[in-house]
Amino acid sequence: MNPDTLAMAFVGLYYETFDKSRADLGSLYRQGSMLTFEGVKKKGVEAIVAKLTSLPFQQCQHNVSTIDCQPSGAGGILVFVSGSLQLPGEQYPLKFSEMFHLLGIPQGSFYVLNDIFRLNYA
Amino acid sequence: MDPDAVAKAFVEHYYRTFDSNRAGLVNLYQEGSMLTFEGAKTQGAQAIAAKLASLPFQQCMHNISTVDCQPSGPAGGMLVFVSGSLQLAGEQHPLKFSQMFHLMPTPQGSFFVLNDIFRLNYA
Repeated sequence: MNPDTLAMAFVGLYYETFDKSRADLGSLYRQGSMLTFEGVKKKGVEAIVAKLTSLPFQQCQHNVSTIDCQPSGAGGILVFVSGSLQLPGEQYPLKFSEMFHLLGIPQGSFYVLNDIFRLNYA
Repeated sequence: MDPDAVAKAFVEHYYRTFDSNRAGLVNLYQEGSMLTFEGAKTQGAQAIAAKLASLPFQQCMHNISTVDCQPSGPAGGMLVFVSGSLQLAGEQHPLKFSQMFHLMPTPQGSFFVLNDIFRLNYA
């Protein structure tokens, strides 16, 4: 499958899961996965899901502006996303950048090995 | 050496080279390196250095705000995620940017950039 198509499909799935069913993000990570969220480092499915479900907002909507991807060597794909995050009740969305390193699993799908998220302040 | 310290040292070296000796960036990439700069894809050290040298500004200064890094897998690679601002000569306001590097170790004990993705962060 074309890496760009794959990256787009993954990003769509990731943020749809985040926005509708955040606890289900666990299926996209594995034991060795790493998340750095605004400088806070977490490792492993449980810790990562706990971090994401404990963020100080119940609802949110990600709107993706750009998606760039490149093969990372050894079959992985690097995906670099920029977009905005709308929180309910907030007048202005937050801008963010996020990078994912995806590795393939035998069933033909991918999981997130590396995930780094940063808000882009004005 | 502490990975965060290595990442920070690399990033500072990269932007110092960019800002004071842009042609010298060719030494930080190799034949298989990839750059995506504002959506434009380039491959290989020579082509990448040519792309960066041809950007529509002679002088610039990168100011780094954040550096995050994680190991990328068993091959000893390191992912580095940078945000900061880019001041161009004559421009009143700096441009905000985010950039990710995938660094791979060299036999000499240094790193080269295998993957490089750059995006401006518009307001």
